[in-house]
Amino acid sequence: MLGAVAVELKGVVKRYHEILAVNQLDLTINTGEIFGLLGPNGSGKSTTLKMLMGLVTPDSGSITVLGKDVQKDPVAVKKLVGYVPESPRLYEFLTGIEYLDFIGDIYGMQTEEKKSRITEYLKAFQLEGREGDMITSYSDGMKQKIALISAFLHRPKLLILDEPLSALDPRSARIVKDFLQELKAQGVTAIMSTHVLEIAQAICDRIGIMYQGKLLALGNMKELRQMSKLPDSGLEDIFLKLTGTGDTRAIVEELLK
Amino acid sequence: MNWKNVLSLMQVDRKSGRLIRGQKVTRYHENRFLAYWPYWVALAIGVAVGLLARLAYNSFAATDPSSVGSFRDGALSVFASLPTLVVIYSFIFTLLQQVQRSGVRAASQVPYWLPVTWQEHTLASILASLFGLPLASVVLIAAALVVFSPFIGLVVPAVAASLAVFAAAFMASATTEVFRILQVRFIGAVYKSTGRAAVWVRFVGSLLLFLVFYIIYFYVIYGAGAVNFIQTVASVQSAAWFVPFVWLGLALLYSFTSGELLVGLVFMVVSILFIVGLFLLATSLNRRFGLYEPPAITVSRGVYAPKTGMLGRLGFSSTEAALIRKDLKAFTRRRELMTIFIFPIIIILVPLIQTLGTTGQAPPIEASAYLTAFTFLFPAAIMAIMLGNFMIGEEGQAVWRIYASPISARSLVKSKYFFIVLFSLIILAITGAVGTIIYQPSLRSIIISSLEGVFIVFALGALSLSNGIGGADFTETPRPRMIRQSTSLINLIACLVAGVAILAPFIPYMLSSTLSTFMPSLSIPVFLDPYTATAISAVIAIVLTVIFYRVSLNSARELLRKAEI
Repeated sequence: MLGAVAVELKGVVKRYHEILAVNQLDLTINTGEIFGLLGPNGSGKSTTLKMLMGLVTPDSGSITVLGKDVQKDPVAVKKLVGYVPESPRLYEFLTGIEYLDFIGDIYGMQTEEKKSRITEYLKAFQLEGREGDMITSYSDGMKQKIALISAFLHRPKLLILDEPLSALDPRSARIVKDFLQELKAQGVTAIMSTHVLEIAQAICDRIGIMYQGKLLALGNMKELRQMSKLPDSGLEDIFLKLTGTGDTRAIVEELLK
Repeated sequence: MNWKNVLSLMQVDRKSGRLIRGQKVTRYHENRFLAYWPYWVALAIGVAVGLLARLAYNSFAATDPSSVGSFRDGALSVFASLPTLVVIYSFIFTLLQQVQRSGVRAASQVPYWLPVTWQEHTLASILASLFGLPLASVVLIAAALVVFSPFIGLVVPAVAASLAVFAAAFMASATTEVFRILQVRFIGAVYKSTGRAAVWVRFVGSLLLFLVFYIIYFYVIYGAGAVNFIQTVASVQSAAWFVPFVWLGLALLYSFTSGELLVGLVFMVVSILFIVGLFLLATSLNRRFGLYEPPAITVSRGVYAPKTGMLGRLGFSSTEAALIRKDLKAFTRRRELMTIFIFPIIIILVPLIQTLGTTGQAPPIEASAYLTAFTFLFPAAIMAIMLGNFMIGEEGQAVWRIYASPISARSLVKSKYFFIVLFSLIILAITGAVGTIIYQPSLRSIIISSLEGVFIVFALGALSLSNGIGGADFTETPRPRMIRQSTSLINLIACLVAGVAILAPFIPYMLSSTLSTFMPSLSIPVFLDPYTATAISAVIAIVLTVIFYRVSLNSARELLRKAEI
């Protein structure tokens, strides 16, 4: 159900002092697409996602999210977006259910709708029985589940997920993957960064590979294979070849000395 | 004991407190001289104090040579009091600091999975607590003593006192370490067993803890009719010779004042043994209970039933109401925020202790008018200032939630400002009621003091919020900072000026009543009746409130635009 443009970045540059985090990034993501953003550590993925959310201001270039300028109308954009940052810090003095209740109110959800969705999500992510505990006592995986639920709760049109499956147990990870596919069928766009290449390969319609702030490659699996001239390879080999980080054998041997 | 490990751990702990929002953290380089500025400042002040004492001594010796002996005796008495004084305030300071440290840090302490022994970890923790104000005080005292002592021939007692104050600060810090671990162990157990009530156990328990220590502190410094607190400390430590915390002071007292060197030596040896004992106890407790896991406090087990609440009926949007409810929970559940509620109680109790302690009876009627105004205005003002300062910074690292949510600057400021005003007015009502009962002022005084309290709350709340947004510090380790120190200081001065401006129409009354008490022949004309003065005061407060509310809105827009953590 691919349609109109959901996200558009044109000539985006972001610099942190001497470090060029994102360098002249042009990218268009369509409605109903699951887009994977890959890249080694420090390649500019998280900065790009934060810029889409309006959490980081680009030095130059323009960003449009769901037809709106993020810098000009950030509140309108945020209403339509669900966001999970990398290592989300939650309000640890609230209980799980209080946190989700807070999120529902922030997004202006109706009371009954909020109640039914929170109950459904808590059940789906097996948090029933712990929802009344303060978040400070949750494991990392449980906190990640709360962060994911808070992104899904208000049924956003766009999901921006930075490492969404980190710390999740296999069942919950499977639920998230299947859920994203279902949302896609309903026209929801999802942009996710991940280091788990199997997941990206399995669920993403298109993948962008970033390296040193630049978009090295962009396309579906077939197109990426053609670009890398690795016709029968998986995403891992393609990724390592394109980012020039593939010569791992020599490094391991060096470390073993 | 690997001293390198101890030094590294201690440095990491202290360094984490120096990184604040807005600093350049990529390719971070710290200026060592500036990083240790409190100690340089303490050193400079200490030298200045020492030089002033020398000047005082010189003028004494020049005018009345016979007073030199009594001056020396007085100096020795001060030297002997210093260790006990340092123990008391270092203990309170380090304990407050520990209580305010975030649980997150405790749960992720690197020493738990690095090859560091419990002795090294404990010693580093004690020394890290010692840094900051306690060590700066030690530097100040030692510098003053060293500069002053050669001129009156008290070099040896001064050096001994300098070493003793350092030992006293270490003793206090080690005691705090013991308390910290016991708190982790036993309070954690209480929380686990009390379920929902744990929230209130924590709230009331923390308030009581602070209350007890503050009262002890103020009692020692100002209490029991102590015009000269040195005399109090000297008499207290002699009477309480069986308490190990005064042994360092007694060692100095017997060695240099009484001339009983052997007794002094005995107290010094037992002091050292006590410090070693404290360290061993802290190490042993750390080994046994040190691994901290936050207890799972279950607040609710029933069926989830979202509340609509009355905030909506008061005109708040669901976003604003959610923020207010969240902040209410934060201030009743987070230990470092609960401390705010202790200050209004202390502010009422301290003058009461002082007044009743000094005279043993109710204050005279002239003082009563001032104490009434003080009780009405000061706690509410302090509450508005503190809440205004902390309301944004208290979000900590979770502030991304505000940035990423569809919250406008207007909603953010409205909800935060409402919280500040609401709680400050509650404090005004409580302290006003207490002031009315204790000092029994006239109805006119009650009405005017209440109105002035409301004006102060609105104006200082808006002013402090504007500074709280601009100077928010979201650092959480080793303890939540909430506001930059420099902004906090600037805000305090600005609030003082604003407060004086609001109360300015009453200055003729204050002058008139004060001077007529002391100089009945002098009459100051009072050209405004009290209600006109109140009306003028209201106009000043409204102007300040509108200005600083707008400044807050602009600062909030900037905060949300920058989205800086």
